[in-house]
Formats: sequence, C-alpha cells, structure tokens
Amino acid sequence: MTFSSLLGFALTLTFLGLIILFVVVGRAGAKAQLRPIHAFTRLRRAIGRAVESGSQLHLSLGRGSITGTESAAGFVGLSALEAVIRSASTGDNPPVATTGDAGLAILARDTLAAAYNAISIGEQYDPHSGQLTGMTPFSFAAGTLSTIADSKTSTHLLLGHFGSEVALLGDRAERSGDLSLAGSDNLAGQAVLYASVEEPLIGEELFASGAYLHAGATHIASLQAQDVVRWLLIAFILAGVALKFLGVDTQIDSWLGGLP
Amino acid sequence: MKLKFRAPLSTALAIGVGLIVLLGYFFGQSASGELTLLGVLRNFFLQGAVIWAAVALIVGIANLASVHLHKIQKNQQAGYSFILLLSLILTVSVGIYDIIQTHLNGELNFQRLGWVFTNIQLPVATSLMAVLAISLTYAAGRLLARRLNLISVAFIGTILLLIIGSMPVIATQAPFLTDLRAWILGVVTVAGTRGILLGIALGTVATGIRILTGSDRPYGS
Repeated sequence: MTFSSLLGFALTLTFLGLIILFVVVGRAGAKAQLRPIHAFTRLRRAIGRAVESGSQLHLSLGRGSITGTESAAGFVGLSALEAVIRSASTGDNPPVATTGDAGLAILARDTLAAAYNAISIGEQYDPHSGQLTGMTPFSFAAGTLSTIADSKTSTHLLLGHFGSEVALLGDRAERSGDLSLAGSDNLAGQAVLYASVEEPLIGEELFASGAYLHAGATHIASLQAQDVVRWLLIAFILAGVALKFLGVDTQIDSWLGGLP
Repeated sequence: MKLKFRAPLSTALAIGVGLIVLLGYFFGQSASGELTLLGVLRNFFLQGAVIWAAVALIVGIANLASVHLHKIQKNQQAGYSFILLLSLILTVSVGIYDIIQTHLNGELNFQRLGWVFTNIQLPVATSLMAVLAISLTYAAGRLLARRLNLISVAFIGTILLLIIGSMPVIATQAPFLTDLRAWILGVVTVAGTRGILLGIALGTVATGIRILTGSDRPYGS
C-alpha cells in the first residue's frame, strides 16, 4: 500500500461521503440551484416539440468501450437515454439509440427495454431501436449518418466518447435543420464539437446531463459533490503555488519522497 | 406471485465486483510490490470483463446484421443495408478461409484478410478523413455566423494564429508569431487542457460512485 493509493482511496471516500450528505440534505427539502445551461433548456423544449410533432429523438452514445476509461461518458449517455425515454414516451416515434461499441449497444438495448417496462409501456419497445452502427471511428460515423439523415429524426443528442469524427455527425444534423446537442470526454472531440454542433457541452458539462435531465436525486448530489471537490483541488493547487513561492516546496518534496 | 430476482441480483453482482476491483486498484499490491488477494481478484475480474467484451462483439455484429435486415424488409435505405450485409458476409468468409488455411498449413496466413483491410477499409477511412477536413473547415467558417461571441472569435483567431505560426516561412519573416504560437501551445493550451481534464476526472469519479452504489444501473433493472 503506497501513500498515493491511500490518498486516492481517501479522495474516493470523501466523494462518496459528500454524495450521501447531499442526497440526505436534498431529501430534507433543500433545493439545489443549478446554473442554467442553454443547451439543456433547448433540449427540454425540443423533446416537447418532438412529442407534439411525432418526430423521433436520436441519442448517440459514442464509441467508448465499457472496459476502458472512456466508459463513464457512455454510462452518462445511458442515464440520459433513460431520462429521455421517460420524457418522450408519449410520442408516436420512440427514441432511437446508436453506438460504436458492441458492449454499449447491449447496454443501450437493456436500458431501452428497462425504461419502457418501468413506465408500463413495455410493448412499445422495439429491439431495433438500440443499434450498433460501426466498430471503428469512421464506420461508426458513417453508420450513424443514415440515422441523422432520416427525415423522422428531429433532435440529436450525442453524449458519450467521440473523437474528431463527430464533426461529420454535427454537419449532417445542421444540414438537415435538426437540433444537435453534443458532449464528449475527449479533448479533440470537444474542440471539434464547439465548431460543428449547435449546442456543445464543454468540459464536464457532459457529466452534468443527468442532473439537468432529471435522471434522479443522486445526479444532483454528485454534481454538488463535484463542486466541493473542485474547490478543494483549487485550494490544493493554490497552496502548492504559495509553497513554491515561499521556497518550502523542496522540503515537502523530500518528506513525501521518503514515504512508500 | 411472480418474484423478480433479476434486478436485485444484477445490482448486487455489479456492486460486489465493482467494490473488489476498486479496492484492488488501491490495495492490490503490498509495499514489497507483491499482488495481494484483492489484486489477484481484481485481475481475475478484469480479464473476465475483457473476455465478455469479446463475446459482446459477436452479439454486436448480430445486432448490426439484424438492424440492416430489418431496414431491407421495410425498404428504408435498403441499398446501403444490402451493401453492408454483403460486405459483412464476404469479409467474414475471407476471415474464415484464412483461419482454415492457417490451421491446415500450420503457420499464420491472413494475407487475404490483410488485403481487404489495406485495399478496401483503409481507403474508405482515409476518404472519410478527407471529408472530415473539409467538413471542419466549413464548420469553422460557419461558427461565427451561428454563434458570434468573444469565445468564438478567440477560437477562430487561435486556430488561424496556430496555422500561420506553424508555417516555415513565417519562422524567418515574423519570429514573434512562432514564439506566440509556442507560448499558446505551452502555457494557455496546457492550462486549459488540465482544467478540462480535472473536470472530466471528477465527473468520471462521480459516475463511477453512482454505479458502485447502485443508483445508476446501466445494466437495466
């Protein structure tokens, strides 16, 4: 067991403790104030319009493997998928999900089936609404393009792990005149999204989508916990700068170097 | 009375295995560097996950084929779906033929499959990359029309500055531009990247904890 392992474990426990604390505080009646994010405000309106007009919502979960570090972005997309189905369940055309990873495609179908069953409309579940569109970045993009080009779809949520190939999807959505909202955990993907989609989610806004789409109290609590830990990190970084400025960083370095 | 055992069982399994893998990550090695029991269990579960991911690939291909068969039946973009299924069948056939040849000859021989990748998949991917370059240029041009604000102007300005600063002629004619480019890449970009990555890391930990506590169940319920 090393010092950095203990530090990591302590940080994880702190995070867990904060989430539990904010869930309890939330249940006690304290309402969390979320800053308005224009993309989610537009999305809520778009879901309402899609239900009224009978058009279809398309949610792409990206091509992140469920065994890799990018899995978290895909899981966020799955939470959003569940929330979107609950909101758009009364529409004529049920939402469709596309992915570029086989494991994620299985989870998407499972999430779709579970969400329909949870709101007692299990018969509306279409096994073809959870699709694997391609296994490589460009085959995934090419396969997803046909879903975006489909005249039935009107709103596209791209939430997951996307690289620069996402520009092709954003471009197609814009040419169809559809609303596109997208977020990725990949830096190159985020830079491309900023230029190519109507409503990009920058930084960790992707991870806040559950809270904004009313996916559950834990999503709001975890967002609050993230903010607290962020301030802790800022304090640590500033303390590090101050120690360096005072010239005591070398002593601390040698002290930490002696630890396992 | 119909009892539903599936949901609590899958949730308990996910939480149990997740906890072992997490604890194995922190306490998987002793101070002397040897694997502890948690470390052994973590490796066992991770190897199992990799095998399951490979099995998922087969299920994924079946899903891909099923979706496109459905599209052909409903005559929705049937031409593309037909080409996809035909390509899938041909590629799988070539792969199986190469596997059989490898077993018969006793040495690795995937020349035909290699030919398919080199002469079909690679050119298609490269042409899509070229389309992407044009698409990105077009998107950058449209950005100011769609979202005219300070950030967009800084975004486009920085792109232009980095492109101009990387030109070899500029390095001799206007060295300050090269220095400015180096400063942007070494200071501003690194600082911004670290900030964004820290946010993503926090979001990833939060998502992991939600799954670990069973409040998020991406495996259905």
